[in-house]
Amino acid sequence: MEMLSDEEGSEGEESDGQEVDEFPEIDAESDEESDFEEREDDENEEDEEDKEDEEEESESEPDDEDPLHVFPKAKTVVSDITGQLKRVFPKIEPDYDSDSSTEDAPNRVGNIPMHWYDDMPHVGYDMDGKRVLRPAKGDELDRFLETVEDPSAWTSAFDKNTQSDKPLTTEELDLIRRLYAGENPDAEYDPYEPMTEWFTGKGKEEVMPLSAAPEPKRRWVPSKWEKKKVMKIVRAIRQGRIVPSKPKASTQPQFYAIWSESSSSHAPPLPAPKPALPTNAESYNPPEEYLLTDEERKKWEETDPEDRDRDFVPQKYSSLRLVPGYDRFIKERFNRQLDLYMAPRVQRVKLNIDPESLIPKLPSPSSLKPFPTYKSLKFVHPSLARCIAASPDGAWIVSGDENGIVSLWELSVGKEIKRWKFDGKVGALEWCPRTDVSFFVVGLEETLHFIIPPYLPPAVYHLTQTLLAPSTLPPPPENPSPVRWTTSPSNTWTDDAPLLSIHLPASSGLASQIVWHRRGDYMATVSSGGNQSGVWIHQLSRRHSQAPFKKVRGKVQMVLFHPAKPNFFVATQQYVRMYNLSEQKLLKTLTPGIKWISSMDVHLSGDHLIVGGYDRKLCWFDLELSDKPYKVLRYHSRAIRSLHFHPIYPLFASSSDDGSIQIFHARVYSDLMTDPLIVPLKILRGHEIAQGLGVLQVKWCSKHPWLVSSGADGAVNVWCN
Amino acid sequence: MGRLRQKGKAGAAKAYITRSQATKKLQCSLADFRRLCILKGIFPREPNNRKKANKGSSAPTSFYYAKDIAYLAHEPVLKKLREHKAFAKKLSRALGRGEWSSAKSLEENKPAYKLDHIIKERYPTFIDALRDIDDALCMIFLFASLPSNPRVPTSLIENCSRLAAEWQLYIMRSSSLRKAFLSIKGVYYQAEVMDQVITWLVPYQFTQNIPSDVDVRVMLTFLELYQTLLGFVFFKLYTDAGLVYPPPLDLKKDEGAAGVGAFVLQDATVPTNHAPTKSKKVVEVEGRQVSGKDVYQTIKSLANTSSETNGVSQDTMTLETNPTEVEEDFVLQTSKSDPQSAAPLATLKSLESLPQTLNTSLFAPYTFFLSRESSRPIFEFLVRSFGGRIGWSPTSGGGSPFDESDPSITHVIIDRPTVENPNETSEEREKRSRRKYVQPQWVVDCINAGKILLEDHYTQGKTLPPHLSPFGEYEGAYDPIAPVSGEQDDMSVDEDEESESQDEDATMDESESADAAALKAVAVAATDESADLRAAELAAEAAGVDPALFEKELKKSRKKVKSDTVGSTEQDMNKMMMSNRQRKLYEKMKYSQNKRAMERSNLEAKRTNIEKQARKKAKAAHQD
Repeated sequence: MEMLSDEEGSEGEESDGQEVDEFPEIDAESDEESDFEEREDDENEEDEEDKEDEEEESESEPDDEDPLHVFPKAKTVVSDITGQLKRVFPKIEPDYDSDSSTEDAPNRVGNIPMHWYDDMPHVGYDMDGKRVLRPAKGDELDRFLETVEDPSAWTSAFDKNTQSDKPLTTEELDLIRRLYAGENPDAEYDPYEPMTEWFTGKGKEEVMPLSAAPEPKRRWVPSKWEKKKVMKIVRAIRQGRIVPSKPKASTQPQFYAIWSESSSSHAPPLPAPKPALPTNAESYNPPEEYLLTDEERKKWEETDPEDRDRDFVPQKYSSLRLVPGYDRFIKERFNRQLDLYMAPRVQRVKLNIDPESLIPKLPSPSSLKPFPTYKSLKFVHPSLARCIAASPDGAWIVSGDENGIVSLWELSVGKEIKRWKFDGKVGALEWCPRTDVSFFVVGLEETLHFIIPPYLPPAVYHLTQTLLAPSTLPPPPENPSPVRWTTSPSNTWTDDAPLLSIHLPASSGLASQIVWHRRGDYMATVSSGGNQSGVWIHQLSRRHSQAPFKKVRGKVQMVLFHPAKPNFFVATQQYVRMYNLSEQKLLKTLTPGIKWISSMDVHLSGDHLIVGGYDRKLCWFDLELSDKPYKVLRYHSRAIRSLHFHPIYPLFASSSDDGSIQIFHARVYSDLMTDPLIVPLKILRGHEIAQGLGVLQVKWCSKHPWLVSSGADGAVNVWCN
Repeated sequence: MGRLRQKGKAGAAKAYITRSQATKKLQCSLADFRRLCILKGIFPREPNNRKKANKGSSAPTSFYYAKDIAYLAHEPVLKKLREHKAFAKKLSRALGRGEWSSAKSLEENKPAYKLDHIIKERYPTFIDALRDIDDALCMIFLFASLPSNPRVPTSLIENCSRLAAEWQLYIMRSSSLRKAFLSIKGVYYQAEVMDQVITWLVPYQFTQNIPSDVDVRVMLTFLELYQTLLGFVFFKLYTDAGLVYPPPLDLKKDEGAAGVGAFVLQDATVPTNHAPTKSKKVVEVEGRQVSGKDVYQTIKSLANTSSETNGVSQDTMTLETNPTEVEEDFVLQTSKSDPQSAAPLATLKSLESLPQTLNTSLFAPYTFFLSRESSRPIFEFLVRSFGGRIGWSPTSGGGSPFDESDPSITHVIIDRPTVENPNETSEEREKRSRRKYVQPQWVVDCINAGKILLEDHYTQGKTLPPHLSPFGEYEGAYDPIAPVSGEQDDMSVDEDEESESQDEDATMDESESADAAALKAVAVAATDESADLRAAELAAEAAGVDPALFEKELKKSRKKVKSDTVGSTEQDMNKMMMSNRQRKLYEKMKYSQNKRAMERSNLEAKRTNIEKQARKKAKAAHQD
């Protein structure tokens, strides 16, 4: 087993050896034999070398004896590498006779990149083919210490052949010095050698001609062809074909009377505007008030140079000799020039008018009396008073609030006569416009209650009762309506309970508006919450309700009856549509340009409509004129809540969430050519803003120029003239 | 159906052209285009609608009239600029090849352009040119004071200073200077030449350095145009004044730093050998010498008799009548048909008889001497344009007509603090007492006031009164001379305050103070609200004020408040009825009005504050 392993090992070694031996440089002369020998003679090498040396010594003697040989005699020895005979020359003494340089480098690898030997223990081979071993190299510290210790370290240079530092000789140092100094590197070269004249100079002149030929004629006769050429130029000059160089125009501009000749008929270009003349602030010694205070100066420094109204800081000097040069002078002049050639110039007509003359001249409000000017009464509800209604005779006011309280009180003194308490919100209130009967409708959540006020004359009371609860009910309609009309039984009739109630369909939401037709038989209601349009028209005589529209685009905000014609206005969020009820068709669509309409009212003549919006706009429509507003007023600072035309006087009022009520004079002329006259008369303030809501509803008293307003603060105010 | 209109074929799209389009059309570089625009006075325009002018793009570009650019395309200067471009190429090639002789000959035949035709185009009449020389003068005066550098050659600066001197000479000669203003930027001068008001700014004599953010090429192009323009304008002005242009320069004086005085004004009617024959032109008629007087008399007699003109008179008519001898007045000839139609015409005589507000020989009776710390060019120009004589010490330049010891000197312009000279000889003292020592501002203030001001405020070492702009400000601006409005009230209030503070320790009348409080309450309660009124009444009663007095006060205050508020509230209400456009315009106008009012009130407040401080200080000094 061991044998086997040995063999294997030897085999491995052999192969290893072969590989190693193949790698190093192989001389072209050496054959395969050398490989063998090398392998075989690993151990014997040293011995053989010794022998060789001995042989050399022994054989050198006969060489010296032969005087005829100029060159040293060669010895023939058996090479220990190849095993063959080879001639060995004696070493040449490095003296003057030797042709090679005195210090011959031991390394004979020649000029090759030395990094080939980087991985080797040697750096090359000497003349005898022996390895030149790499000199020992210490670490950086050793080398540094060496440089410190060795005084000649600074005159030594790295020799790449021996891979070590070698001191430079004095000749080499001299050469380096010369190269540094820019001199000729050869010290022996003399650049100022005296010239040796070999062929010229005194006594060496050639006196005899080289040829005996006579001198040609052309040497002394002027050339004919040259003359011809010159004459050609002369002729050209004479004829003026060649102009001698023009006299140079003087660079100095010549001035003359340029404006003495008539000018062209072109209009001259407009002169550039002149810069503004300096004001007192620019003086070197201005009055003291022109100087900037510290804050003003800081502000001036902070503003952008383009936005400053002055391009300098006023300064005061006690005398002229102290005034320094202005450092921005050139820059300002340059800016002026930039303005001159780069700024577009526009001619503007300067309006030289008094701004007050722009305000339209309207008749003075004092000449348009009567209109309400002051608050005469205040009636307070415990919570937000949403709606009010005035009786047709103008003596009574009904007001309703969020808590379901409806109060009836007298307009002139403000005394509460009666109070009803309901469960739920009161959304709308309206008094029936008929004068022979007297009752009002309360819109309570989804129910409409018909209530007869107390203390009525018996005749009126009786008539009202028969109207609301007739003994013989009219025949029920053919197609049943979702709206129920209920009358409480006659034995339970009291002043506190409603006589008649209309139950709107469930989930139709709070009845936000009730509006009567002028005759008092029809009544329209708008419910806010329903998914349907929420508009119902109720007929009292037939106890019947119907929805006029199957479907309305947009959410209905308000409806109105036309005061004279069978027309019906429906305001959705952005549009106001006018329908003819008898013909059942759309007449007009008005576009007020309001984002969300909040309120509207129609003038008594029926030709004019005012529309108010939550975006503070109030539009006046002339229905004969256009679908667009005739006038847009925007003078409330918050959303408009309510509008109302006075039934008799040429007045209308607008109320807003800013807590103010504006009274306008609105005169409409029967002449179609004259525009309606709208004069703002008075801004009434006195309501407080609660929860962002101001004055919720305004209503005129029908007989007087008095205004009733209900606000979010719970107050119901009466404004008198 | 009409013809279909293609987009971009008419209107703003055709009328306007962007700058890059313009350079492409003119086939020149941007620098050349700029040069052309400056020389020809073409500037960008603002189209009404930028999108329409720029094919729907709203990119920020400058627009030119397409016709302006078409007009530039025919410009001879443009051709020269192109030639110059070719020349520059040839020259650089020759230099690169080292062909010096050809480079030299190229350089000699360098294309150069003239601007005469541009001057004529831009300013068809002389008045047009004169109206537009403000900027030119400013530039000339600026460059005359600049140091030369490679970009601004010495020849240019010399030419500028020559032009500046010529202008000053003309102004002095024609005595057309009207106003001057010493500002922190420099000295503003205003002259009136041929009824055109010309204002120019001259920097103080300090070395100006061209800042790095200034494009010198632009300034030099402007200067090129301005030099030519001023040359022609001065030529016309000088020849109209009967002077030779350019005025010859006395080199010796110029080397002595005589400044303006180095130029010699020569009358153009120099050909003296021709002049006497003209003036002594003697005409013999019927063996008798006829003088101008005779001729005039003959004409007059002829006019009186209204006889026919005969041959003799025709002959005499050809003679020149000397206009200086007798001046005939224009006589108004009313037409018989309509005697009222012809209004009396303003003739030269009537104009001359008008009171002359302007005194151009303000300093004629005086002789000035300029102390060496005040700037000679400024005050020499100012004094000489108003007819004064001025001398200066040799340190501020040569050419002074007299020296300091001249006995005719009446005023010395001096700008240094007074220094006591203990060892002053009597002679010197006497000389000192004969002369008036004034600060430089006096000269300028006299010119602006149009009269000789008292020297007392301006004597050497005194604190000067403020120097105000003679050009005025906009209407309604703050006037530092006028008394502050409400100053009197303020003063009285001040007095009250002071008296109150003084009487503080003294016993105060209680009822009086209560009265005052009640009356104040009345003023507050002067509204329509009855409740407030009632409250005020009660307060007054509680204070124990006489009811009659209360009523009176109430009425007074009500009236006052009403007159104030009623008008304004009505206007406020009427503003509702304004259209949007009108409201915007109104607000804009109001804004600027308010801004001006604010400025004014701010200055007034500052002034009252300063005055109060000064009074307090004076009082304190007085008490000490």
